[in-house]
Amino acid sequence: MIRNRWLSFLSPFLLLTLWELAVQVGWLNRIFYPPPSEVFITFGAMIADGQLPRDVGLSVMRVFVGMVIGGVPAIVIGLLMGISPVVRALVQPLAAAIYPIPKIALLPLVIVVLGLGEASKIATIALSVFFMIVLNVAASVLQVDARYFEVAQSFGARRIDLFRTVALPASMPGIITSVKLGMGFALTLIVGVEFVGSNDGVGHLIWRAYELYAIDSMIAGLVAVALVGWAITVLLDEIERLLVPWQFVRAANDDARQFIQTWWGALRPHSYTAAIIPVALGAIIAGAEGHFHPLLLTLALLGAIAIQAGANLTNDYFDYTRGIDTPQSFIGRNVLLRGELQPRQVLIAGLVAFAVGAIIGLYLVSVGGAFILWLGVIGVLVGFFYTAGPFALAYTGLGETAVFLFMGPLTVIGSYYLQTQSITAPVIFASLPVGFLIAASLHANNLRDLESDRAKGKRTLATLLGRAGANIEYYALVGGAYLSLLLLALIGVAPWPTLIAAITLPTALGLMRRVARDYEPQALHPVLRQTTQLHMQFGFLMLAGWAGAWMLGMS
Amino acid sequence: MSRLPKITIDHARVVYPGARGAGPVEALGGVSCNVADGELVCIVGPSGCGKTTLLRVLADLEQLTDGRVVITDSDPARPVKAMVFQGAGIFPWMTVEQNVAYGLRLRGMPPAERIEIARRWIGEMGLDRFANAYPAQLSGGMQQRVGLARAFAYNPQVLLMDEPFGALDAQTRLILQQTLLRQWDREAKTVVFVTHSIEEALTLGDRVLVMSARPGRLIHEFRAPFARPRDAIALRSDPRFSAMFAEIWSVLRDEVERARAAELGATA
Repeated sequence: MIRNRWLSFLSPFLLLTLWELAVQVGWLNRIFYPPPSEVFITFGAMIADGQLPRDVGLSVMRVFVGMVIGGVPAIVIGLLMGISPVVRALVQPLAAAIYPIPKIALLPLVIVVLGLGEASKIATIALSVFFMIVLNVAASVLQVDARYFEVAQSFGARRIDLFRTVALPASMPGIITSVKLGMGFALTLIVGVEFVGSNDGVGHLIWRAYELYAIDSMIAGLVAVALVGWAITVLLDEIERLLVPWQFVRAANDDARQFIQTWWGALRPHSYTAAIIPVALGAIIAGAEGHFHPLLLTLALLGAIAIQAGANLTNDYFDYTRGIDTPQSFIGRNVLLRGELQPRQVLIAGLVAFAVGAIIGLYLVSVGGAFILWLGVIGVLVGFFYTAGPFALAYTGLGETAVFLFMGPLTVIGSYYLQTQSITAPVIFASLPVGFLIAASLHANNLRDLESDRAKGKRTLATLLGRAGANIEYYALVGGAYLSLLLLALIGVAPWPTLIAAITLPTALGLMRRVARDYEPQALHPVLRQTTQLHMQFGFLMLAGWAGAWMLGMS
Repeated sequence: MSRLPKITIDHARVVYPGARGAGPVEALGGVSCNVADGELVCIVGPSGCGKTTLLRVLADLEQLTDGRVVITDSDPARPVKAMVFQGAGIFPWMTVEQNVAYGLRLRGMPPAERIEIARRWIGEMGLDRFANAYPAQLSGGMQQRVGLARAFAYNPQVLLMDEPFGALDAQTRLILQQTLLRQWDREAKTVVFVTHSIEEALTLGDRVLVMSARPGRLIHEFRAPFARPRDAIALRSDPRFSAMFAEIWSVLRDEVERARAAELGATA
C-alpha cells in the first residue's frame, strides 16, 4: 500500500524526466513533442501576458455558475427523492432516461434555444451535472441504514427531525462524492463546449493553439486544465473534511499524513544541503567565470539529491540489518527502528533513488562526457558501499575521507566541469572548506558514538585514534574550513565577500570547546546537529558571497 | 402487586405477510403479561422466537396484528420510553456528546442544559476523555456505553433493551451489567431486557420470562430470588443461581431444539 503510493509519486516524475531526455538527446522531434522545460517557459510567458489567467478564469467561472445552477436543485430534489416515494416515482424515470445522453450532444440544441453566449455554455454544464447529482444523491439517501431512522424514531423524532438529524448527515458523504463527480464531469465538458462555440476560455485556447500548430501552448493549456482540476479536487477534499469530519477521524491519522511523515523521516530531506552546497558552489564558480546553464545546474542538483537520498536509505537499511543501529542509538527518528517501514521497502526505495540519480546522470553524461560518468559511478558506489558489503567504508575508518572527497572536491569539480568542460586548480582549492565541514559533521557522529561503535566493532577514525586523537581531528577539520577560506581569499581564488562565512566562527569555537569538555553521547548529540547546521550555514554564506561577487562583476 | 401495571401486554400477535410464494409468518403468537412500575423484566428465548418483535412493538416500531399493548404514562415531564439497540445504534456522524444529548435535543431542551446532562452521563460511563470523539474512534464496548448513556440521559419511564450486550466480550459485558445494575438501583426504572443469555437474565431481572419457539408465546415465568442491590460477580457463587440456571435451561432446551427442528424442516 505504502509502496504503491511512493511509486505513484515517482511515475510522473520519471515520465517527465524521460520525455525531457528523449527530446534533448534527439530521439523525439521537438516540434511535435516540446520538452517539459520548453512547455514550462511557454506556460510562464502565457501567465505573464495575462492570456492564460483570463481564459482559465472564464472557464472556472462557467463551471462554477453551472455547478450552482445545476447542483443545488439537484441536491434538494435528490434528497426529496430519497425520502419520499412519491417524488421518487415522479422524477426517477425521467432522470434515468436523460442521464445516459452524452450532454455534449445537447449543446447544439441548447445553442438553438439560448444562442452562442454565456447562457448556452452555463446551461449545458448545469443540465449535465443536474442529472448526475440528482441520481447519486437519491441513491445515497436510500442507502442509509434503516436502523438509524428507527433509533431516531424511538427517541420521538418527527419527520423533519428524521430528515435533519439522520437522512441529511448520513447521506452527506454520498452528496459530496456526487458533487466531486459532477465537478470532474463539468471540467471535462467545459473544454469540449469551448472548443465549439466560444471565443474565450481554456478550451478555446487549446483549440486555437491547435489551429496555429503551437503545440507548446496547447500542452500549457492542458497543464492549466489539469492544475485547475487538481486545485478543485484539493478544495473539495477540504470542504469534505469540514462537512463530514467523522469520516476522517481514522483515515487522516492512518493514511496520508502518516505516509508523508514516514517517508519524510526515511528520506531525511534536511540532509540534502550536504549535496546541494557543493553542486551549487561548482556552478557558481563557473558562473562567475562566465559559464552558466541553469538547466544543467538544476539537473545536477536533482541528481545529487537523488544519490544522497539513495545513500540515506541504503545506509539505514544496512545499519539496521547489521545491528549497528539499535533502539539505544542516538539517531533521532528512524523509521526502521520504529517499525514504520519494512527493511525491504527502505532498500527498494534507496535503489529507486539511485536509479533516478542514474537516469539524470545519463543525460548529464551526454553533455559532460566520460568524466561525469566516472564521477557519477564513484558517487553511487561511495554512497552504496558506505555501509554495504564486507569493506563498508564507514566501518573501516575510511568514512571521513570518502565523505570529504565526495561531498567536497569531487562534487564541486564535477558541477564546475559540467558548466565549463574544464578543471582548474582554483576550483579544487575552493572546494576545501565545505569538504572539511562535511567531514567534520560525519566525524561528530563518530565522536558521539565512539564507545558504542567500539563495542560493536565498527571501526571509524574516531575509534582508531582514541578520544584525544579524535578530538584533535575535529579541531583540525572545523578549523581547516576557516583557515582554508581565509587562504583562498588571501591568494585571490575566492572573492573576498565569501569571507562572510566567517561570521559563523563563534559557533565553530563553541563547538570545539564542547568537544574538548564533553565525552558523553547525550552531551555530544547536539554537537552533531550543530556541526551539520554549521556546514549548511557556512556553505550557504560562502555561496551567497561568491554569487554576490559574480553579480557585482568582482571576479 | 397492588400497583397499576406500567406495561400491559394483552394477546399481542404479530403476523408478517409471507415472502413471495411462502405463507404468512406468525412472529408473535399472542403474548400476554404485565410489567409493574419499576420492575426489571428479562425475556429469554430461542433465536427467532419473536422477543425482539415484542420489544419493537413496545417501542412503536412495529404494528400489532391483534391484541394491544399499553404503557401507562404516569409522569408527563418525562418521555415514556426509549430503546437501547443491539450493537448500540449510535450515530457515526455525531460526537459522543451529541449522541448522548440526542434524545434531549429532540425534546427541545436548550443546548447548555442538555450538554450538562450529557456530560454527566458520559462521566458516569467513564468516557470523559472521549466526549468529543466520533464513534469510529471507540471500541465496541465503549460504543455500547454511549448507547446506554444516551438512554439514561433521556430519562424515560420505560427502558427497552434489545440484547444490548450481546456482541461484547465477556469482561466488557460483566462491567456493563454492573453499570446497569448500579443505575437501576439508583433510580428504579421500568426495564424490559431481551437477552439470549440465561445468566444475564438471572443477574439483572426481577423476573425472567421464557418464550417458546416461533410463534413466540410466554411459556414460563421465573422470579429471581436475589436481594438488591445485586453484585453481578457475587451472584455467580450463590447456589440458588446455578439451581435456577438449570431450571430455566431445562425449559429453554426443549424450545431451542424445537426451533432448530423447525429450521431444519424449513430448509429440507
